[in-house]
Amino acid sequence: MFGALLTSSLTRIIPIGMMLLALQKTLFVELQPFGVIIQIVLAFAASAGAAGGPERGAITGFSLGIMFDLAVGSPLGSASITMGLAGYVAGWVDLIRIETTWWLAAIFVGVGAAVGEGGVPVVRRFIGEQDAFVPELAKIVPVVAVTAAAASLLLVPISRWSLKIERPEWKMPADGR
Amino acid sequence: MAIYSAGRRRTMIILLLSSVLLITLDLRGNAVFNAARSGFEYALRPFEVAGDVITRPVARVWSGMTEVDDLEAANRLLQEQLDAQRSDQIAAQNALIENRDLRALVGLESLAAFDRVTASIIGSSPSNFDQRVEIDRGLVDGIRVGMPVINSAGLVGKITNVFPETAIVMLVTDPQYHVPVKVVAEVLSTPPTSVPDTVPSGLAVDDVVTTTSTSTTSTSTTSVPQPIFDAAGNPLDPSLLAPAGGTTTTSSTSTTTTTVVEMVEVTRETGELDGFGADQYPRVRFIADSPQFGLAAVGDAVLTAGGSLSLAPPDIPVGRVANVIQRAGAGGLELEVELNADLDRLIFLSVILYVPPIQAAAVR
Repeated sequence: MFGALLTSSLTRIIPIGMMLLALQKTLFVELQPFGVIIQIVLAFAASAGAAGGPERGAITGFSLGIMFDLAVGSPLGSASITMGLAGYVAGWVDLIRIETTWWLAAIFVGVGAAVGEGGVPVVRRFIGEQDAFVPELAKIVPVVAVTAAAASLLLVPISRWSLKIERPEWKMPADGR
Repeated sequence: MAIYSAGRRRTMIILLLSSVLLITLDLRGNAVFNAARSGFEYALRPFEVAGDVITRPVARVWSGMTEVDDLEAANRLLQEQLDAQRSDQIAAQNALIENRDLRALVGLESLAAFDRVTASIIGSSPSNFDQRVEIDRGLVDGIRVGMPVINSAGLVGKITNVFPETAIVMLVTDPQYHVPVKVVAEVLSTPPTSVPDTVPSGLAVDDVVTTTSTSTTSTSTTSVPQPIFDAAGNPLDPSLLAPAGGTTTTSSTSTTTTTVVEMVEVTRETGELDGFGADQYPRVRFIADSPQFGLAAVGDAVLTAGGSLSLAPPDIPVGRVANVIQRAGAGGLELEVELNADLDRLIFLSVILYVPPIQAAAVR
């Protein structure tokens, strides 16, 4: 499962991830609502979870985290944990419905992104950084979550394509029984 | 579908352990990872350039919408500061030349003695928890990890990652930033006219600047309040003096000879400057409340302290003390420092090609 998933979807995830990283390092360091940098790569990891479930979300988040760490210069593996966590948490939406609605996916992407961004200082504290819990955390996490939820409208279909996920053939009966 | 299944649990454990392993290897220093970073940097560069070109109009529109008021206010403030500083510039230039000459005479190292590389900023950290920028100079320009970075206002940060043609600068406000600093204040005081053999600092009187012997002639016009008298002709309460009484013009000529001794007492304490995030002042910690040095006060200048272990040479201006925080118990003082450099508006930076003495000795 693990290897097959990586080999099957990496050809799409890597170029998409590179493009999002480029946007993250150019556009989104300029657009800062309330002084907070929108985390588009994290939002994509959470969207992958909302589209493909916890496992795929975690693996996609792990891969994107490696790319993020390589690009930013942060300790390799630190963003993998937080983005993997974001994908995993957002993937819980699969447990509620077989076919996810856009608004439910947006909520779970927001929650996943909040957990992922909130996990950054935890990981940093774990690897020995002092003062990792900055006072702005209370502002950063909600803004990142809301913007990720908004971006999910675009990112969930992209991640569905990246992970080669097709819509389920099985449908709920019209009368709900 | 269950949240926890054996396969899912196995996948999560593998991912978590892989991340921890990668972190451990990277923090211990790994040449393969460094090469991978450089390679990824090259691979990502075309994407970044394309992204920058495509999104530049959007970013400009956003800046136009959100920053125009701030820019106008900043422009007005800067104009006022410029006017105020023009007069100081000439005196400062003179002092700079004198300082350089004296340092050369005594053999002390000065900031001007180190080579610099000028760089421009090509990117900022995309993380909300890092205060870092990327510059367009790197390994091939002689930049190495740890070198201090300044702009015309003062200390900006230090180099944390170097790639062949780019480098990452950790800003002073980053929570991971630490540098030894000294707090310096000049206090002017005037002792009594009878000058002792030594001044309180212990310096001989001859070492203290002695100035001015003045002779003054003054003519003054004085308003003399008129007292109010009661019916018996006795003056009333002095506080009831009529303010608009008569005016008496007196002319006096006096000759005064005064000896004024100007002393400059330098308060100097050392501590460690730590970053506290983007919206917080950096703080100087580990300062002992030592009465013999005097108390640090708001407005005191903060400069790098230098030293064999410091990554920055001495006397780089950092900022001024904005707040003094008295911590309970043996915590001592903490000083909040308002930085000279405006880290929100960085464009050009200079990397000082400085290698700490202990590191230079190890290389030799």
